[in-house]
Amino acid sequence: MLSQVSDAPVIDVRGLRKSYDGLEAVRGVDLQVREGEIVAVLGPNGAGKTTMLEILEGHRARDTGQVVVLGFDPERSPRAMRERIGIVPQETAVEPVLTVAETVELYAAAYPHPRPAEEVIALLDLEEQRDVRVSSLSGGQQRRLDLAIGIAGDPELIFLDEPTTGFDPSARRRSWELIRGLGSAGKTIVLTTHYMEEAQRIADRVVVIANGRVVADSTPATLSAEGPALIQYRLGGELMTVESEAPQEDLLELLLWADRHDVQLRGLTVSQRSLEDVYLELTRAEAP
Amino acid sequence: MTGELRRSDLRLLGVWTRAGLRTFMRTPRAAFFTFVFPAVLLLFIDATASGHVTGAGGRVEAAQYFTPSLSIFGLAFGCYTSLVFSIPRARERGILKRVRGTPVQPSVYLGSLVAVGLLGGIGSVLVLVALGVAKFGVHLYPALLPAALVTLLAGGLCLSALGLAVSSFVNNAETAPVVANITLLPLMFISGVFAPLHGAPAWLHSLAGFFPLRHLVDAFSIAFSPHTTGSGFATGDLAVLAVWTLAGAAVAVRRFRWDPGEAASGGRDRQPRVGAPAR
Repeated sequence: MLSQVSDAPVIDVRGLRKSYDGLEAVRGVDLQVREGEIVAVLGPNGAGKTTMLEILEGHRARDTGQVVVLGFDPERSPRAMRERIGIVPQETAVEPVLTVAETVELYAAAYPHPRPAEEVIALLDLEEQRDVRVSSLSGGQQRRLDLAIGIAGDPELIFLDEPTTGFDPSARRRSWELIRGLGSAGKTIVLTTHYMEEAQRIADRVVVIANGRVVADSTPATLSAEGPALIQYRLGGELMTVESEAPQEDLLELLLWADRHDVQLRGLTVSQRSLEDVYLELTRAEAP
Repeated sequence: MTGELRRSDLRLLGVWTRAGLRTFMRTPRAAFFTFVFPAVLLLFIDATASGHVTGAGGRVEAAQYFTPSLSIFGLAFGCYTSLVFSIPRARERGILKRVRGTPVQPSVYLGSLVAVGLLGGIGSVLVLVALGVAKFGVHLYPALLPAALVTLLAGGLCLSALGLAVSSFVNNAETAPVVANITLLPLMFISGVFAPLHGAPAWLHSLAGFFPLRHLVDAFSIAFSPHTTGSGFATGDLAVLAVWTLAGAAVAVRRFRWDPGEAASGGRDRQPRVGAPAR
């Protein structure tokens, strides 16, 4: 996936802290994101996700810590950095009386090498709405327009704050394809989400933030592979559940036992805990 | 707030100004107040005003005074009121923040807002003057037209700078119309927009003379007066406008905020201010 790996991370955050009126929203975050990575930031509301994202985007000043984005200090919000990033904020914010095509063209015009507006509109399935005013779009269509604006400038680093909130399942899946496609094209993507499935499907890495700290940082698979597996089967109509730290050995023993006693294990499954289980455990442990 | 500018920024200013004009024309309220309302007022006032009135340019026929004075009404709606209305709304909706995250330079974006106001405001003045000439026998004096245009431009810039400045004090889009009207309407009354100040007490003259609107009305009506000799540039009035323009721009540069979240805390966007809560 990493086609052109460079040494310096695209995002390098060390010891980031930020408080509002004495309340610490971000309490010492370290985060490195490499080129071409898709990183999902998970965490309960108020965990500091959006604050961190806004500091990376250059919207917010930090208190302490070192933050480098594409080689720039985002706090100075240099234009050369803004030309290379795309931001999809949490809420739709565009002029309601302009049409979809007018809006995409307007925002694309500011970038040195924008994607053709028609191509972006087609990517987000907004062709039928291209001449419709933003105020007449459905919530999901407005959100897709947000995504369209975010990628209109063909940025190499894209921040997505809850990009698929309000989407129906099929629109969500198409957006996942789009985001994965951007990742395959070498774009670096940092997104926040409340959907575990979204993180699992599209992210190379999951960063869990709770109470302003990073409490987990690994691949979705590794994260949910930690901890015991569940072995379940039906025996004489009764559902049996075994928590196993060593599923391979335990399963072998179980199968040998069933074979010796000529017993049928119906509905036999072995599963890892879901990402959601792990996430809930992690964020519960960190609750104040 | 300005940062480096490039030649492509001029093109970008055009792109954003065009989009702003579209937005303006598709917002019926703004178009109505800027274009239709001054014309209706001119019809009414001209119907009720009797014979001659005395303004800064001397004693002239009513329409010869009210056409330029009500022009300033349209100019103020286009340049001042529309900014005080639209900037807090755009800030509250997060539009300003979104723009701030793109390579659009702040000066280009704000410049496009000012350009839209100027075009709308000056357009409304042209409509009103055309109406005055066609319907009320208003005379245009070619020798005074350069002064009229310069005054219009100076006044438009001044009102825009003040609009930017005042909008930075409006934290809540719902209060924006109140702020716009409370700051502008009383000034219009004491500045001779609806009735000449001739014969008003001295204190009212002094009060009105402190603010820019009176000087704008005077300078513009002088450029329409048959008694005006020379080129008609009211240099003293234009100097006052320039001072207010600089003051407005200075406040706007210092206080302008992009982020709706920062609005409540008084604009400590980039650097902590003295007296700001400990961070």
